[in-house]
Amino acid sequence: MQNSATLNDVLKTFNEIFIEVLENEDIVLTYETTAADIPEWDSLNHIALVVAIEKKFGVEFTAKEIQSYKNVGEMCDGVTLKLQAKK
Amino acid sequence: MRWRNLKIASKKVKKGDTFSAEFCITDAIYTGFIELFRDKNPLHTDARFARSKGFAEEVMHGNILGGFLSYFIGECLPQKNVIIHSQEIKYIKPVFKNQELDLTAEVIGAYPSVNAIEFKFYFNEKRTQTQVAKGKIQIGII
Repeated sequence: MQNSATLNDVLKTFNEIFIEVLENEDIVLTYETTAADIPEWDSLNHIALVVAIEKKFGVEFTAKEIQSYKNVGEMCDGVTLKLQAKK
Repeated sequence: MRWRNLKIASKKVKKGDTFSAEFCITDAIYTGFIELFRDKNPLHTDARFARSKGFAEEVMHGNILGGFLSYFIGECLPQKNVIIHSQEIKYIKPVFKNQELDLTAEVIGAYPSVNAIEFKFYFNEKRTQTQVAKGKIQIGII
C-alpha cells in the first residue's frame, strides 16, 4: 500500500481485508458501515480486523483512536491521515 | 525458563523479544492425552505399525505440542491476564516419547490498540536442535 492511497483506495483495501478475515465474500463496505451491519464482526474478529489493517497499511493506532471510530469511514480517514503523515 | 516484562499497554513488548521454555513428552503426558482424547491411532500406540510406516517408534500426537503452547501462554508468561486469539502450527519432524523440546517464541507484532501480541514460535529437539514444529500464535492481554 503506497502512501498516496486515496480514501477510496483505503476503503477498497478495507473491503478485501474484511472479506478475508471474516470469511464472507458478500461483504460490501461503505463509509457508514458499522459492526451492527455485519454479523461476523464480533469482538474477537474486531481485534483480528484491526491487526490486519495495521499490518496491511503499516500504521499503528492507539486504543483511544480505535474506540473513537464510529464507522468504517472514520477508520479509513484515520488510516489515510496516518499514511499522509508518513510522507 | 526466562521471561521479560510483557506489558503491552506500556509498550514494553517489542518486535524481536523472545521467550523460551523446555518441555518433555513424558509417559504421563502421553498416556494422559490418550485417556482424555481417545486417539489411539496405531501410529501413536503401536510401535510395529509406526515402524512399518517408516518411523522409529510410536509418533507422539501433534496436539500434545498444542498443549505445551497452551501451558506456555496461560501459565508461564509473567502475566495471567492473557487469552489465545488464534494459533497455527506446522509439524516438521515426528516427535517421540521422552524427547526433550525447547520452545522459543519471538514477538513479531505488538498491537497496543487492541492489546494483542503476535508470536512466531518453534519447537526444537533439545539434543540436536532440530526443528520439529513451528507456527504463529496471537494472544490478547485482557
